[in-house]
Amino acid sequence: MFKKIWTIFLRDLKVNIKDFLSLYILLIPFLFAIGINLFTPSINDTTVNLAFIKEENNQLVTYMEQFAKVEEFDNLETLKERVERRDSMIGIVPEEGQYYIMIEGNESDMDIEYSKMLLGLYETGLNIEDSKTEIIEFGRTIPPIKKTLVNTSVLFISILAGMLISLNIVEEKVDNTISAINLTPTSHNSFLLGKSIIGIIFAIFGGLALVYITGFGAVDIGKILIIISVSTIISILVGFIQGLINDDIMTAAASIKLLFLPLIAAVLAVEILSEKWQRFLYWNPFYWAYKGNDLVLNKSGSWGQVLIYAGIVLFLSGIVYVFLAPKIRKGLE
Amino acid sequence: MKVFSGFLKELKLASRGFYFYIEIFMAVLILILFLFIVPDEFSAKGEEYVFLDMPKEAKDVYLKGLTGEDLLNQRKNVKIKIDGKDKNVDLYETEDSSLYFLESKEDIIYMADNKRKISLIIKMDEDHNLAYQYYLQGYESQKLKNLIRVLNLESAHLLQENMDSLEVRSISIDSKRLSDKENMLPSVLVFNGSLMGLFLIAAYIFLDRQEGVIKAYALTPSPVWQYLMSKIGVIVFISILSSMLVLLPVMGLKPDYLLLLVLLISTAFFSSALGLLIASFYDSLIQAFGTIYVFMIIMILPNMAYFLPSWSPTWIKIFPTYSMLQGFKSVILANGDAAYVLSVSAGFLLMGLIMFFLANLRYKKILFR
Repeated sequence: MFKKIWTIFLRDLKVNIKDFLSLYILLIPFLFAIGINLFTPSINDTTVNLAFIKEENNQLVTYMEQFAKVEEFDNLETLKERVERRDSMIGIVPEEGQYYIMIEGNESDMDIEYSKMLLGLYETGLNIEDSKTEIIEFGRTIPPIKKTLVNTSVLFISILAGMLISLNIVEEKVDNTISAINLTPTSHNSFLLGKSIIGIIFAIFGGLALVYITGFGAVDIGKILIIISVSTIISILVGFIQGLINDDIMTAAASIKLLFLPLIAAVLAVEILSEKWQRFLYWNPFYWAYKGNDLVLNKSGSWGQVLIYAGIVLFLSGIVYVFLAPKIRKGLE
Repeated sequence: MKVFSGFLKELKLASRGFYFYIEIFMAVLILILFLFIVPDEFSAKGEEYVFLDMPKEAKDVYLKGLTGEDLLNQRKNVKIKIDGKDKNVDLYETEDSSLYFLESKEDIIYMADNKRKISLIIKMDEDHNLAYQYYLQGYESQKLKNLIRVLNLESAHLLQENMDSLEVRSISIDSKRLSDKENMLPSVLVFNGSLMGLFLIAAYIFLDRQEGVIKAYALTPSPVWQYLMSKIGVIVFISILSSMLVLLPVMGLKPDYLLLLVLLISTAFFSSALGLLIASFYDSLIQAFGTIYVFMIIMILPNMAYFLPSWSPTWIKIFPTYSMLQGFKSVILANGDAAYVLSVSAGFLLMGLIMFFLANLRYKKILFR
């Protein structure tokens, strides 16, 4: 049986190498990782952008540079022009010995409050030198935004794996080779297993590459493997179903798109929604996978917790499987 | 006329396919999420954990001083879990933050180290001077650390007075703003509407090639571009349908629908033409899959700048999705920024036409081989 599974896997690998797909697949996790490494420092450093008039009050500008990103402009017109652009830039403009805050109108309340506070601090005369505040740090260097991006990308890659499997199966269907397989002694299960190996390898390789390149290498690899594996199961399952019930690539491509919805919903719910909204996502396996991943990347999860999250994902995937098993069987006939 | 009848024929075919209904289903699902689950505003209340390291009398005075201010208007007794044990603590809620008062230094360090919360200890020495000790993770930016150094509760009152006396002037008189929920819609429109074509048009073409439809088409006198255009027509039509399905119930008649149509058609045309061009270099969807996927990831990037307006490096504005997102935002706001939306649409239409022209040249060569 293993030999058959292996043969099916090798066949897929050959086809995908011929189509340059494997090259991209190897490339995508690196692309994600490099992108994440490039962006996070500047995102983490983001506070509020303030615009000043050049040479008007150097002391104020130097003060503000301690807390915000500062840009200087030649005169009021150029400053106003800059504030009017689409991103968030707030002007600090002198008038009759005082300052007012110039906004375009679409800035967030938080940015406006922040600039008010900074200007207020300056006028109150509070300086870092006089500060009686001591800061004690735990020496963690990876910001939460990076963790969020890595976590989302890992799940993204698992969906990609599902997509790959579904396209490989549809391709066999279009070429009418599934009926040929049915004539051989290969069982349905070996066929499915053989078909999923390429997806599993891709998901695990991609997930690990991503985690290492982005600097999370110190996390417990055993735990991360468990979470990646279970979250891949759901994608693979959907990959099969899409591959088997859809007769053409068009429908397979569109329906795999549906998977992105629960993924995005899970990330948004965990990251920005308050506690009371969380229960609306308990049905979503990606929600649990995301939370599990988060624990592992945080290095704060115990084996027990990780196994519970993995168990929930597995359980939800199991329910999906029970419902769809007849369809999978039918699709193979 | 021929293009139009070709489009109608394609549409009829598409409506018989499963694919058509998946798109509608997806739109309905998004609609349900927006109507019933996504809250109008996402609460992002900051939490701080405080331990007052001072004698009981001083604590009372200090707390009274705090609660006396309008800043801290409520005091609640809540239970939180610290190191596996439930502990009763006082919670003061202000408009934008929740302050929890803990009982010991160990609890503060636990919250900071294990729960990654901003935690601080306020100490009072014999001369009644206050000193602050903040526990941070280490990844906070220098700017944030500087801010923490200068902010302290003693001068909060004076600072608030100074802040209240500041004048905020808005340049545009009509400064409408979107709620957090509404602010997500441009992203939905771009990804479920405009960019849909990128992947699907490729799938469409490969499907026709596999089924031999294209060979049959070669026997008719119609030129290639009409065939390609009728395909794009279907994709654009479905984009409009699924976008309206979400937008109308959520936003009602607020958005500028005429401008929306212009922007949606031009951007969907652009991405379909791009998809066509990419697909022309490959023989099957599996081959094209990698390239299209890389394009999709690149297109997703500007979303980060959209949701974090203070982080908008110049290079990210070059990505086409950046202007798409901003254009759809203007349309939903209906802020009369028609000039921007129209110029963005014209840009996409032009780029789309150029790519369509190139794709047409390529398909003439390869399609009927």
